[in-house]
Amino acid sequence: MVLKIFFPQCCVQAESGLLIGRWLPKHNSAVVLAVIHFPFIPCQVKQYLCQLQNLIKLELAIVGSWSKAVKGQEKQDNFMEDLCTIFPQGDWLQMYSEKGKRGFDCRVIPRNGTKTMNNDKNVVIIHYDQRKVMLSQLHPADGLVLGSQKNVSELTMVFQTVSQSKELFHSDKYDEGPFKVTHWQSEGREASIIIELCKQASVPVCFMINCFLTVWFWMCKSRILNLWPARFVSSKLSTCVQLSHRAEQLQIMSNPRKTSEHLEFMRKGNIFLSFLIDLALGLLLISWLYRENCIARLADMLVPAADRVAEELQQLLQWLMGAPAGLKMNRALDQVLGKFFLYHIHLWISYIHLMSPFIGMILWYLGLSACLGLTIALSVFSDIVALLTFHIYCFYVYGARLYCLKIYGLSSLWRLFRGKKWNVLRQRVDSCSYDLDQLFIGTLLFTILLFLLPTTVLYYLVFTLLRLLVVLFQGLFHLCMDLINSIPLFAMGMRIFRPYRLAAGVKFRILQNDKERPLHLLMEINPLTFSAVLKWYRIPTYSCYPKDSWGALCKKLFIGELIYPWKTKHTKTD
Amino acid sequence: MGKKKEKCRKKTLLQKTLDGTTPTLNNCISQKHKICMVSDFFYPNMGGVESHIYQLSQCLIERGHKVIIVTHAYGNRKGIRFLTKGLKVYYLPLKVMYNQSTATTIFHSLPLLRCIFVRECITIVHSHSSFSVLAHDALFHAKTMGLHTVFTDHSLFGFADVSSVLTNKLLTVSLCDTNHIICVSFTSKENTVLRGALNPEIVSVIPNAVDPTDFTPDPSRREDGKITIVVISRLVYRKGIDLLAGIIPKLCLKHPDLNFIIGGEGPKRLVIEEVREKYQLHERVRLLGALEHREVRNVLVQGHIFLNTSLTEAFCMAIVEGASCGLQVVSTKVGGIPEVLPEDLIILCEPTVKSLCEGLEMVIAKERAGNLLSPAAIHNRVKTLYTWRNVAKRTEKVYDRVAKEVVLTIDERLHRLMFSCGPVAGCIFAFLAVLDFLLLLLLKWLVPESYMDRAVDATGPHGLWRQWSLPRASPNGEQKSNYHLSHSSVELLNDASC
Amino acid sequence: MSDEAFSDINGNRISLDCQRHSDFCGEFTVSSPKLSFLKVTGCTCALWLCAYTIFFFTEVTEVLSVAIMLSLVGMMGHLHFLKIDHESLLVIGSLGIQMTSSYASGRESTTFIEMSKVKDVVINEAIYMQRVIYYLCILLKEPLHPNEVGDIVPVFQSCKPRLNCLIEIYKQCQEILAQS
Repeated sequence: MVLKIFFPQCCVQAESGLLIGRWLPKHNSAVVLAVIHFPFIPCQVKQYLCQLQNLIKLELAIVGSWSKAVKGQEKQDNFMEDLCTIFPQGDWLQMYSEKGKRGFDCRVIPRNGTKTMNNDKNVVIIHYDQRKVMLSQLHPADGLVLGSQKNVSELTMVFQTVSQSKELFHSDKYDEGPFKVTHWQSEGREASIIIELCKQASVPVCFMINCFLTVWFWMCKSRILNLWPARFVSSKLSTCVQLSHRAEQLQIMSNPRKTSEHLEFMRKGNIFLSFLIDLALGLLLISWLYRENCIARLADMLVPAADRVAEELQQLLQWLMGAPAGLKMNRALDQVLGKFFLYHIHLWISYIHLMSPFIGMILWYLGLSACLGLTIALSVFSDIVALLTFHIYCFYVYGARLYCLKIYGLSSLWRLFRGKKWNVLRQRVDSCSYDLDQLFIGTLLFTILLFLLPTTVLYYLVFTLLRLLVVLFQGLFHLCMDLINSIPLFAMGMRIFRPYRLAAGVKFRILQNDKERPLHLLMEINPLTFSAVLKWYRIPTYSCYPKDSWGALCKKLFIGELIYPWKTKHTKTD
Repeated sequence: MGKKKEKCRKKTLLQKTLDGTTPTLNNCISQKHKICMVSDFFYPNMGGVESHIYQLSQCLIERGHKVIIVTHAYGNRKGIRFLTKGLKVYYLPLKVMYNQSTATTIFHSLPLLRCIFVRECITIVHSHSSFSVLAHDALFHAKTMGLHTVFTDHSLFGFADVSSVLTNKLLTVSLCDTNHIICVSFTSKENTVLRGALNPEIVSVIPNAVDPTDFTPDPSRREDGKITIVVISRLVYRKGIDLLAGIIPKLCLKHPDLNFIIGGEGPKRLVIEEVREKYQLHERVRLLGALEHREVRNVLVQGHIFLNTSLTEAFCMAIVEGASCGLQVVSTKVGGIPEVLPEDLIILCEPTVKSLCEGLEMVIAKERAGNLLSPAAIHNRVKTLYTWRNVAKRTEKVYDRVAKEVVLTIDERLHRLMFSCGPVAGCIFAFLAVLDFLLLLLLKWLVPESYMDRAVDATGPHGLWRQWSLPRASPNGEQKSNYHLSHSSVELLNDASC
Repeated sequence: MSDEAFSDINGNRISLDCQRHSDFCGEFTVSSPKLSFLKVTGCTCALWLCAYTIFFFTEVTEVLSVAIMLSLVGMMGHLHFLKIDHESLLVIGSLGIQMTSSYASGRESTTFIEMSKVKDVVINEAIYMQRVIYYLCILLKEPLHPNEVGDIVPVFQSCKPRLNCLIEIYKQCQEILAQS
């Protein structure tokens, strides 16, 4: 078995002394954390260790001795060996560097007192950067949970040991103490005064936001808003959904408790940054909208556009009522359907004209919503589009219903044709013998339905295409919103500016290759790839689109089932 | 996993029985072949062809030949696997079209098949089943590459309907330049010779076999005071399930102590279920669904009578298995079935409900009177009739003969195609053969044979499989590198196979 | 230590470099051939010719600049994301196995697998692009059942050395694994 010693890079130049560290006996490795220099009093060292252990809750020990190359090595060697009797914990590592040579040697003295074994070659010394290892968070490749306690691998143990010993690194080299210690030290405080001020200010701000949110949620819960129509409508309007999503995020962010866990911290950071970006983009939009009176021009354009759409639809219906693309339809059914839809459009046009005087004002006020963020503005716009194309939606629903009924009827009559029936209890097709009149009526109905099918199919096809166009348009907006809502900007920034903070693993380089001496490796941190960052830290969003695959969507379209939105499948149990 | 264990068990049994005979066998074998079995049908699919290929390969390996199997991927099972005794199976990623048959464009399988033939140094390509598209493809490509070809036909066909006419034409084309054809019964031989317009000299009859050690009788498992009829077949039209649906209510109403056990799965299951519900026979007709091969024996021994209602059958392995388990067999008189068992072990009926009912009634009456042969007696008679070792020995003779023949050159082949397959089809297929040849030339230029690694033999004269139970090679050992290799991949495949 | 010439499955010459740093540490580097100058020139010329033909018929000058940009970006993208210069496998006994692939632009992507997760290193066969090839792979343990094989990590995925080269690497890997 090979003994692995994880040795901090900062201690390579240290003066001689004792090594503080931790044994990982399960993996046959040792993590060196710091060097205590001469001179010291052994019982003071023991006391210090006890204090440390209480503070950081790890089993630290004196793992060995460290001697730097000086003259008179012989004498010191013996002295170092004697030291192991004073600190009898585990094996004893004796490390010494020689003058003029890179790297250093290591001897292992086993605990049971037998003298130095000639196993120098079976030692690997792995150098690591204490600061980076301390700050980085290891992401397991397969495990979905960060920091789960089961099956802790060796590297995770090393990373944990170093990051938990933060307290040890707090002592400064200029601090007065019973002895000097070498380990990684921060070169002055990283945070500037502004950040400190922000930290101080964040507490009252969070409190204020919390108060405001409580009022908001209380209002939302009030009884009037929970009545059936209000609730139904609000669940379908993307503005309401987006607002409540933002409110929830705000609540998570303004939680005044200090976050200790890494994932939670990252989540807060991500939400905060996405908020900021959203607001900034929203303000940009406002400044553009209200600067050159764009909004009034937009309002002027809107009514004619709606009119135009209605006119086009009228023409389309006229075309369908004739002989569209040279197809010969069932004339009676064609006329009935066409007139029905024409009347509907007529109603719609009068509704638009009733609204037209107020549209400018409504838009002006709605435009202000952009100061809540770009996503809100986008969702408001998407809702406006949905409301303005309501007639198309209605047509689609009528067409789909008719078509669905026909398909359903045809399929069951086709089974009747073949002497089969659908067994509801067993969910399968059984054979069944029908009476003569049953067969006669069935066949008659089948024929009628079959001959009327092309007309219905045509109407269904045209209106479905129109509806799909609108859904596509709305989908684009929702995609934009989802993008802003879900991109983990904070984690991305961290990956770019502090790549070692998010580690996917480690990589090793051969530092020194000398057959006579132990192998020296350098351990570097392998940062997460961007795709992995996205996978780990994507902000969860509500999803407003159905989770159908393309195949399922096509099937739905074929059998005339309603696609997005307004259709939620209820389980029959309630 | 279960099946794997089953195979392991089988292996040990075979070895036990073999130990005495192996050396003498090895002495008399003159020539070792490298055989590639090709068929769309192989495990995990279940059926007669599948077990035929598997058992035949195992026995050929025992006799010192190198055998590999090529089939298409089944769901998650793709790539290369090893089965008992180092039998290597290639599951090729080809699209399945219908009934586990692959879709073909004739040419697209050439690169992979060529690669396999070259890297395994194949000398004889042996295709199975005329339903298998992959088998025909492999024959076609093997002839283009100048390899010896053998074809085994497992099924019978009609001559009248459109689909038969088309299949027969295809068969004619496919078999006209094949070196040798094997049929499983004389009826099948007649049928194939007629369908393929073949010279009867190149058609041999080698029947199927069962492993008698797997199908032993156990009368204690039978239910006392009841008579049980066992049916084990796929529930499809060809197996005469509609006849079965007619028989069940008739007999059940007449004999209150009669039970049915039906094993198998298929589209006709619904018919049986409906009959069961209509006549309220839930307790007396048990539907077991799809059975694994090792479960079959446990089902068989529960019955007194084995019923087979097939409408067409070249060689019915199911009735041999039933008889081997000591059951009295009642079967329809179609195809090659009359050849399979001696007359006193089987009762043959016309394929009608009436005739089958009469036959069954007779057996039931005999059973009541205690006039039937004892299960052990039936087993002892069947035991010696059909063994895989015999089949392998006879197949080997075919290989020896084929190896001496010369493979047709491309111009001879074209000539044969043009003049023995009719003017239209012949010309079309001759053209296709030329295209295939050109494609082969292109492939030879793109990926020369020297770029392909020769596969490490697991079986055959220099096979490494026997060594794999040795301890792991010492790190500085002098063993051949091949040994490491086979060892590791065996280990991998044993662990990774599900 | 040793530097030998082998070929990959397409017949291109590759070189294998085996370095033993100590008894339980070895590094195997497989270098694939450099980007051939002829190929690059051919591709670029073809692209530019196409652009020029379009320009000749439509007389839109943007086509030419777009073509130049495309060829530059394509070249850089190819070097940075696709063209792998060499791949190496670093086996450190009782610590783990590290796979590095270096792209032609100098970018490196590294994966390190701890020894506690590794079950074995083996040579396996696979069907690849209408061919059947041998490849070296690392077998990982199933996290819950340590005696079973979980995932399979193929090594040298872009160089694809032939069997004789793989056997060389395999032998040395097994030596190292047996040592620790």
